[in-house]
Amino acid sequence: MGRLFVVTLEGKIYSCKYCGVHLAVSDDILSKSFHCRYGRAYLFSKVANVTVGETEERMMTTGKHIVADIFCVQCGSNVGWKYETAHEKSQKYKEGKSVLERFKILGPDGSNYLVSHEAHIGGSDADDA
Amino acid sequence: MGGVEHEDPPLKRVKVSYEESDSFSSNASIRELARCLSNNSMARPLESQGDDEVVGVKGVVKKVELVRIIAEALYSLGYEKTGAHLEEESGIPLHSAAVNLFVKQIIEGEWNESLATLHNIGLMDENIVKLASFVILEHKFFELLDGEKIMDALKTLRTEIAPLCVHISRLHELSSLIVSPSQTALDGTSAQRLRIRSRKKLLEELKTLLPSTVMIQEKRLVLLVEQALDLQRDACRFHNSLVDEMSLLTDHQCGRDHIPSQTLQILQEHSNEVWFLQFSHNGEYLASSSSDCLVIIWEVKLDGRISLKHRLSGHQKPVSYISWSPDDHQLLTCGVEEAVRCWDTASGECLNVYEKSGLGLTSCAWAPDGRRIFCGVTDKSVCMWDLEGKDVKCWKGQKTIRISDLGISSDGKQLITVCKENIISLFEWESNSEKFIEEDHTIISFALSNDSKFLLVSLSNQELHLWNIDGTVMLVAKYKGHKHSRLVVRSCFGGLEQAFIASGSEDSQVYIWHRVSGELILTLPGHSAAVNCVSWNPANPHMLASASDDRTIRLWGLNQVNMTQNGEHSNGVCYCKGAT
Repeated sequence: MGRLFVVTLEGKIYSCKYCGVHLAVSDDILSKSFHCRYGRAYLFSKVANVTVGETEERMMTTGKHIVADIFCVQCGSNVGWKYETAHEKSQKYKEGKSVLERFKILGPDGSNYLVSHEAHIGGSDADDA
Repeated sequence: MGGVEHEDPPLKRVKVSYEESDSFSSNASIRELARCLSNNSMARPLESQGDDEVVGVKGVVKKVELVRIIAEALYSLGYEKTGAHLEEESGIPLHSAAVNLFVKQIIEGEWNESLATLHNIGLMDENIVKLASFVILEHKFFELLDGEKIMDALKTLRTEIAPLCVHISRLHELSSLIVSPSQTALDGTSAQRLRIRSRKKLLEELKTLLPSTVMIQEKRLVLLVEQALDLQRDACRFHNSLVDEMSLLTDHQCGRDHIPSQTLQILQEHSNEVWFLQFSHNGEYLASSSSDCLVIIWEVKLDGRISLKHRLSGHQKPVSYISWSPDDHQLLTCGVEEAVRCWDTASGECLNVYEKSGLGLTSCAWAPDGRRIFCGVTDKSVCMWDLEGKDVKCWKGQKTIRISDLGISSDGKQLITVCKENIISLFEWESNSEKFIEEDHTIISFALSNDSKFLLVSLSNQELHLWNIDGTVMLVAKYKGHKHSRLVVRSCFGGLEQAFIASGSEDSQVYIWHRVSGELILTLPGHSAAVNCVSWNPANPHMLASASDDRTIRLWGLNQVNMTQNGEHSNGVCYCKGAT
């Protein structure tokens, strides 16, 4: 597929579980209290090496948001989503930020994440603690 | 010529001469008669000079000025009689009588008289009068010195030049010449000739000092015509062939058929995606590299056909960049985060392998003197090697990022790399000074123009930005339309005088823009997968090559109606599996 444009990150790196591409650094974590179908998720101020899918309106735990799924640029795995617009004023802080699902990524120490038995079914999102 | 004594502006002067001048009386009466007879049948509008102040559709060309520069053009061409006749017939003198007198006095060396006339010409600016007077008196001074009339020269200096209070330093120089005249005495005849010749030069100098309304610039009409031709050529969006002569009779406009737009050859030698390709500086070779870790050198034959010359194997990783040596005798190839290899073009032999133990090399570039090479390293440093493989110098720190290209200015002084995601560093490695280009989006790749004055930067928002890096760093143009979101898609300069920008695209097409206007002029479909790289032959503005994920290289040329060689498809495309 040609020479993939991939940036290399510095610091404590979260990478794609399937292909190892750098996705984000721990310094950019805004909140660890998000969750998705597969368990925990982290809100990052910025992520790298992802392609953004179609935007759509979704009902999240905290209300209606306009989001787009994000995919690893190398292997295409759906690693999380990005907030484009939030309808509620209190949720505006999420706009432009991205959530990476812990299950889809490897932590800085290479650690994997096992699907939590507290997995929320049918609910994604969270407020900042 | 008009016998005018006034210093009125030209238009008024013309009116006066029309009505009052004696020398015109016979002509004037004839004109009166003609006017009485019939207006309509006269070819020239004679009603009044005043009504016809402008000519032309746009109303910006003043008739008086036009006639004056035509008269000047006639005189410049040597048509004295016609020039004089034009002045007479139009009633528009080229120069006022005062100016003509002035010129005559200068040529004949009547200095004092010329100074008096100078004041009569009607110059508004006192300064100009002073400067012109200075120049004239300076010449008088030199002539006096030449003629060994020292006392007179001194008198001129003291009583005429000094009071002007201009060019004080020059004044001092002149006075020192009296003391020690460096001008040696010449024998009579040559001095005479010299004097007359230099009076002509004096006149030329005065012409530049006096405003152009008073004395028309020499060959002004030709200058304006040349400007128009330049504008026509610049405006020609498809100008891509050497035009021997531009005609004054029709506007210059090239057709689209001067830009490569038809696939002439498809090269299918690579077994995987072709990531990079580049023509050699002399346009005789093409080098291509692929994710199959192979590099191929192709030869461009005189008839424009391309054939395989060498397969260069040795890299263990996909080869992402190629750099031709300035003399095209050698080639540098870079395996992704691996090693850089140097090859001999003629033999295909691998001359050297540049490596850094424990690290990988990410980019390479040849120094313009052909004696050193620069490489980017995975630890973000940039290193310089000599041709024997000796590590000469290393710049550590945040110098380059892994995915960055490496460029060198043609004077060898500036190293160009992407040092942060959205910042390009122009690093003068000898003086250790740096300039930066900062963008709003992530930088994907860049290309340098031949003259190293411009940098074409590809950004993640699918725009190409053209930056001027010669002197003040400045954004000059933007090009849009092509697509890339995941891959490194490369672009280049090309065509006659690099007047065009070409780029690959993830939508399988080649895009071509007109560089100055930013207009997208062509998109070339043909490839069946993303086009990763394009290269325009520097020696042939009609040849463009593109490299694609569909494993082929396409050679694009001018639209040809038919091709008559046997064994080829009827649409004229030749599928090449090696040497023809």
